[in-house]
Amino acid sequence: MSAQATQTPAAPRLAGRLIFGALALIALLVWPLLVENVFYQRVGALVMLAALSASAWNLVGGYAGQISIGHVLYFGCGAYASLLGFTWFEWAPILGAPFGIALSLLLAVIVGTPTLRLKGHYFSMATIALAELARIIVTNSPVLGGGVGVSGPALPRSMADLSFISPLPYYYIFGAVLAVLLAFTWWMNLGRMGFYLRAIRGQERAARSLGVPAQCYKLYALLVSAGFTSLTGSLYATMVGFVDPDSGFGILLSVKMVIAAALGGAGTLFGPLVGAAILVPLEEVTNAMFGGDGTGITYVVYGAIIVFISRFAPGGLAEVLSRFQAWRARRAN
Amino acid sequence: MSISRRPLLAAPALLFAGRAMAQGAPIKVGSLMPLTGVAASAGNSGKAAIELAVELINTPQPDLASMPLMATTGFPAIGGRPLQLVMADQQGNPSVAQNQALRLITQERVVALTGGYQSGLTQTASAIAERHGIPYVNGESVATNLTERGFKWFFRTTPIGPDIAAIYVEFLKAARVNGRPVTKVAIVNENTEYGTSIADVIRRTAEAAGIAIALQIPYAANSADVSAQVLQLKDAQPDVAIFISYTSDAILYARTMRAQGYRPPILIGDDSGFSDDNFVQTAGDIAQGVINRSAFDPSRAGSNSFKVNALYKARTGRDMDDTTARIMQGFLVTCDAINRAGSTAPAAIQTALKATDLKAEQLMIGYRGVRFDDKGQNTLGSVLLVQLRGREYVSVWPTETATAQLQLPYRGWE
Repeated sequence: MSAQATQTPAAPRLAGRLIFGALALIALLVWPLLVENVFYQRVGALVMLAALSASAWNLVGGYAGQISIGHVLYFGCGAYASLLGFTWFEWAPILGAPFGIALSLLLAVIVGTPTLRLKGHYFSMATIALAELARIIVTNSPVLGGGVGVSGPALPRSMADLSFISPLPYYYIFGAVLAVLLAFTWWMNLGRMGFYLRAIRGQERAARSLGVPAQCYKLYALLVSAGFTSLTGSLYATMVGFVDPDSGFGILLSVKMVIAAALGGAGTLFGPLVGAAILVPLEEVTNAMFGGDGTGITYVVYGAIIVFISRFAPGGLAEVLSRFQAWRARRAN
Repeated sequence: MSISRRPLLAAPALLFAGRAMAQGAPIKVGSLMPLTGVAASAGNSGKAAIELAVELINTPQPDLASMPLMATTGFPAIGGRPLQLVMADQQGNPSVAQNQALRLITQERVVALTGGYQSGLTQTASAIAERHGIPYVNGESVATNLTERGFKWFFRTTPIGPDIAAIYVEFLKAARVNGRPVTKVAIVNENTEYGTSIADVIRRTAEAAGIAIALQIPYAANSADVSAQVLQLKDAQPDVAIFISYTSDAILYARTMRAQGYRPPILIGDDSGFSDDNFVQTAGDIAQGVINRSAFDPSRAGSNSFKVNALYKARTGRDMDDTTARIMQGFLVTCDAINRAGSTAPAAIQTALKATDLKAEQLMIGYRGVRFDDKGQNTLGSVLLVQLRGREYVSVWPTETATAQLQLPYRGWE
């Protein structure tokens, strides 16, 4: 991003950005009201949900450069806390969210303290192992619903259950949480923590030798990330009303968070949102178009995207965009 | 074969004639099946059976005239409008099942939904139908709680846990192994909704009838290795082992038991995995004499089950299994209700479903009939026991309707 600053004077560029941002925000707020199709509205809500978990992942995986493939651990904690609160105490599902977040923070400390010392692939593998461990424990614990899973209220009892016929309320609730998370990410990135994380991502040993408390700041990033991922899980459970070990702790969910962030651009503010806005509709459309044949082409498309990103644009669309801008600048000169 | 081929050969011509008669747009009915993922094999069989049902409804089938909608074209009470199936893949994921249910209701404008397959997914998908006021008819998910939710738009045709447990216990009380009574029963169940709920209800029913369950071994579905579980059984030496498993686990158990040389005197494999044609073809040879429950017995020539199975076999090259038959029957009941409603209004279809009163001879499966209670559960679902001989299940219990003699003990690979 900073590379572009040399091309245009700062003030008009900022104004242009502000106008573009305002238009994008208005579009995000208004489009569901213009689309009458309920299914598209729901896809919109799912985009927000995917963007939320991918943005939360982005704090650790993008900004701090620690590729976690076990974030579903925190997602599952949130989802289960919500629905177990209902199953055990008949609470409204969203009331379980604080407990899910608390548990996730605790787990993040327990998990993060040893694993964040690991580098590269070893860290990724450790996170996968821990998430799988959680899935197996839950599958074998009848008190946590075992392999059966846990359900929310079959029919809404009051407004507090957040059970709506229309997907629109979900869209705006998820969008509001996403806005908070993105605002935090933006603020963090401007401050000391952002500098530290960038230094760690660039070259951790060099950062340490300059006095960056790397271990500490990686853990801070993981804590915030785990908290928001857990909240995403609670919101998911509130909307769907059912979670089982595969949909709460399945590795595919972790992978989807990584892919959404990587497609849009890991370590950029809006990358995960862009990635989710492409991937989720793509998944739904391919399933609607080809799913009825039972050919599994949905997964073929998904797999192809992963291959293309990792081969041609490991930095995601953000990288493609900056390459394009650089190419245009060269041509203009 | 001559019975089965004739209507098929005549189909194209009649379809054309039907088109000419059929007035108005097709009536859409949606179905959710696991077409990808671990349950894809069962889901695709279900899809083939439902597609067969659509063809049977849209073309006159004089052979099957005792069943509703078969002698006529499309929906005769709604101006002969044809039936159109909208199939969706729920991918074995509860959230996807909801998305697809919503898509079928709001985009495809289906008048009713069927299917769901895994109980957990039927649960989430039917919650969407309930909120939108669209009838949801399930023919295959057996978890008892599905009809305990107070839903007004949910109906289920399959017999459920208590019906299944009742026949096993009745059978065990009557069965004698080598002259000694059955006293030691072991249950091995996969630990999702299906296995857990069936195991629980069998345990409760058995204990109420004075048969103690000596051992219960729950295991995680889609296991990579089950030798520990088989060793546990081998140690305990039960008179009866009851397995409740999906397909891949059922095959794995048969192979592991062969490898360890273990055979219980009576082996019961509950439906799902053991009914799957995949199991019969890959592991049937080493599981000879396994006893299974079924509501579908195609062995009686001339019955609706026999004719439908022949048509299905001509289409897919394999016999119809019990789960597939229950899926198809659920779909046919839905279509019958739509026709009786005389309209595509959801409320009219709901009323017609509540008034459903189908007799045994109007079905393609062995239920005593279809009549729903206040909760939407079919009260006339029934089950019979079948035994694996070669690569076919033959009906052995109750003796009055059996087509073959029960053979004990379990032979396995011999």
